[in-house]
Amino acid sequence: MLRFIGRRVWDGGLTLAALVTLTFFVMRLAPGGPFSKSRKISPEILANIQKTYHLDEPVWMQFGRYVKGLVTFDLGPSTRFRDYTVGDMISAGLPWSVTIGIWAIIVATLIGVALGVAGAMRRNSAADYVAGIVGVVGVAVPIFVIGPLLQSVFALRLGWVPVGGIGAGWRALVLPILVLALPNVAYISRLTRSSMIETLRENYVRTARAKGVGAARMVRRHVLKGTLLPVIAYLGPATAAIITGSILIETIFALPGIGRHFVDAALNRDYPLVMGITLLYGALLIVLNIATDLIRAWIDPRLRNGR
Amino acid sequence: MPSTPMTAEPLLSVRGLGVRFRLPQAEVTAVDGVDFDLARGEVLGIVGESGSGKSQILFALMGLLAANGGASGEARFGGRNLVGLAEGELDRVRGSDISIVFQDPMTALNPFMRIGDQLAEGLIVHRGATRRSAWAEAVAMLDRVGIPDPAARARAYPHQFSGGMRQRVMIAMALLMRPAILLADEPTTALDVTIQAQVLDLIAELARDSGTAVILVTHDLGVVARACDRVMVLYGGQVMEAADVDTLFAEPRHPYTQGLLAAMPRLGGETAPRLGTIPGSPGSDAAPGCPFAPRCDRRLPRCTVERPALVDRPPRRIACHLEAADAAS
Repeated sequence: MLRFIGRRVWDGGLTLAALVTLTFFVMRLAPGGPFSKSRKISPEILANIQKTYHLDEPVWMQFGRYVKGLVTFDLGPSTRFRDYTVGDMISAGLPWSVTIGIWAIIVATLIGVALGVAGAMRRNSAADYVAGIVGVVGVAVPIFVIGPLLQSVFALRLGWVPVGGIGAGWRALVLPILVLALPNVAYISRLTRSSMIETLRENYVRTARAKGVGAARMVRRHVLKGTLLPVIAYLGPATAAIITGSILIETIFALPGIGRHFVDAALNRDYPLVMGITLLYGALLIVLNIATDLIRAWIDPRLRNGR
Repeated sequence: MPSTPMTAEPLLSVRGLGVRFRLPQAEVTAVDGVDFDLARGEVLGIVGESGSGKSQILFALMGLLAANGGASGEARFGGRNLVGLAEGELDRVRGSDISIVFQDPMTALNPFMRIGDQLAEGLIVHRGATRRSAWAEAVAMLDRVGIPDPAARARAYPHQFSGGMRQRVMIAMALLMRPAILLADEPTTALDVTIQAQVLDLIAELARDSGTAVILVTHDLGVVARACDRVMVLYGGQVMEAADVDTLFAEPRHPYTQGLLAAMPRLGGETAPRLGTIPGSPGSDAAPGCPFAPRCDRRLPRCTVERPALVDRPPRRIACHLEAADAAS
């Protein structure tokens, strides 16, 4: 098991190294630079600024400098927000993104699995149709429509929760979490439903029925594990995406997460911030995928002795 | 081999059992008006070719038909009719009084559960045993079916067992509860020829020891000759002929039974003659007459229009118009 984890971490490190290299050079290949959009500045000052950020050096030297910084967990200064380092910006925003992201995934998993199981157990029943409608709505209606809709009902009309911001403690996070969860509720419920219908057809489930274990125990002990394997495989990448990719939610609900940096940094050619955010997403994805594989191996003994 | 007298109160009494499946375009009859009795401790073979409905008889008895299938008729067991019994009631019979060994041991065991837990489950559910005592009984049963080092193997998962070993596990699981009836659905078809005989002998031996009656479904007459007391020959979902094994093999009366026996390879003959074949293939069930009539070489005019009744002609039961013709002459 330790060897399994060690190997996955090693593979993950290699992937990250490739990611860093690729992102670094692709960024430099794109036209423009961090200061090309600035108001007119004299060539002398521009040269000075360039020198401060070492942008006057050859690209390969910049790369070496960046990698050297990485080893000491120094992601460098932001070229846009002059007084902040990339590390500062990530550690300020990440807790918010992680909080709403994790809760959204938990909520989405609980509701999605429940709806999916209900749908698979009672196909074409009322519960199945409700789950189906939630699925279509959740996937088809974008969150910039759902978000303001919920804001107008629950914040403006009913006044149960604030419209946005972070002033009201946990109440402020309820709507963003729900809105962020909704598309995942939809996807997880459909995934659970089809996976469970497939599992119910397995011969070993017939064996369990033939043992007379009863419907409840059959689902709990014989159907659930096989049903959840694909769902868990989906949850790893989905969690990474939900944590880093919540820019719409952050904009709609005025939350200081890291999602907005993704877009802003690229638009501003803020090289160090783009690198930092990309690295963060890559690292999250790798860590969560390893976690996913470990959970799957814990559930399915056939996956344990593999590589 | 003693043939069991039909006068004793049978353990299981099946009358007019039918199984139908709804398909998108049509309804298909898989089993049509099957009657038989099963006595305590008896081994009954059901033979027939693929699609003759033999496995569906077992599934109907256990309430395990596919979702689009339905059973009709009567299967009296312990004062109850198993056909149409509610799931909750069935669950008290299934795995406890009647258990089943399936055809494909590779997929019949839960891949996520330790072998010991899968065996122990029946005892825990039906007898309220503790996990510890159920586990101990499971290990003892694994030992009896010939799993080496059973205490350690009980902790293993199905993928760590070979096909033959998995079928032994299935047999252990089925017999752990000392059921009154064991249903075996082609238990050796998926196994290597070399272990088929071992597994069959195991079923026969364990059933004899615990007084369990067995219904053994197979398309292999060699299996029948080896393991069964009585045989029922099925074609197109209907009983063609039923008798004790000795009678059926010594003097088959039904043309289909005769065809089956002629198609059976025999060891020890000086020359190897060509195996007999029955021309044609099993047809649709739409015809009104005898289902075998289209392939029968001794077909009478009435065979294609009138279904022959299953009649008692001791020591056999037979459904064939030739019988009536013979009796009249």
